[in-house]
Amino acid sequence: MNTAEEKLWNYIDGTCTPAEQEAIQLQIQQDEAFAAKYRELLLLNSEFAATELDEPPMAFTYNVMESIRKEYAATPLKASINKNIIRGIGLFFVIMISALLVFTFSQVKLGTGGLGAMPVKFSLPNLSPLFSGPVMQVFWFLDIVLALYLFDNYLRKKRLTKTDISVHTGGQQDTH
Amino acid sequence: MQSKLSDIELIDLTLAGDQSAYADLVKRHQRFVFTLALRFAKTREDAEEIAQDCFIKAYRSLESFQRQSKFSTWLYSIVYTTAMTALRKKRVETASIDDENTFIQVESQNSSFDVNNAENRSRSFYVNQAISQLLPDDAMIITLFYNGEQSLEEIGQTMGIDPNTVKVKLFRARQRLKEKLERNLKHEVKELI
Repeated sequence: MNTAEEKLWNYIDGTCTPAEQEAIQLQIQQDEAFAAKYRELLLLNSEFAATELDEPPMAFTYNVMESIRKEYAATPLKASINKNIIRGIGLFFVIMISALLVFTFSQVKLGTGGLGAMPVKFSLPNLSPLFSGPVMQVFWFLDIVLALYLFDNYLRKKRLTKTDISVHTGGQQDTH
Repeated sequence: MQSKLSDIELIDLTLAGDQSAYADLVKRHQRFVFTLALRFAKTREDAEEIAQDCFIKAYRSLESFQRQSKFSTWLYSIVYTTAMTALRKKRVETASIDDENTFIQVESQNSSFDVNNAENRSRSFYVNQAISQLLPDDAMIITLFYNGEQSLEEIGQTMGIDPNTVKVKLFRARQRLKEKLERNLKHEVKELI
């Protein structure tokens, strides 16, 4: 059973039925003690609603965002690589190996003369033109150019690192 | 400056990789989340830790937000579960949370140094003081209802209880709050005399 106070709170919150609302309104008009209680609860209600929210520290948002940044920056590379790419590479190799196996077995002619007499015939592609004189010369030339380019890059990086260290430590810059 | 975009728009931007949009969401809700955390924690430092933890958890599971309820309701449910977990952990170290006197004791310790300024205190100070003396669940319901402007259904969603139970709990919480307010005011009058 609802107490007078409970009825009044429901009336203030607007959670009672229209019939109850009408009955309470009538009681407020007729019963002075009930009306006094209503005024008291109404005052309390406005006081409860007037309470202010607490203010967090100034750097709160910054701290939250910093924690999030740290958490996501700390994610290992393994976790940040798209798994579909890894699956795709895996699938490519599986298909290639399967195709190679199918091709190999299709070339095998199983005879009835036992394993020793198995006539296996592989037809390898003819690669000898690839190792002929001009091709090899071009290959070696490109290799040497690439090696020189990489060596030059390596030396440049080394010199830049040295310059950085001397600047940070207050030493003189390398002008060469 | 606060963003004029809605919560949902900010969530979409965040999910698209814009972290500043999430910072705007944090700025918008931080006061309320911090206040809710304070209803459970005994110190501002603990409340800050809980509130921070809530926003990080919300960021992690933002993709799972179904958008069937308001973002604030979803966020407050994270606050409630996080705060309850923190409270359970603390319970091992300190007294039981069911012991209402624990909270009264803590609050009286906190407020003891400014007892001489009683005449300068506003009525809202006493209401806030009384709220902090309530049990966490009562304080949470009062705060969600009055400051969060949440309906009984939304409070039910946040706390994982039936709206009718919320109604009953709200009524009891108000009664306890009224009693504490009267007791505190009586105590302050005595101090003044």
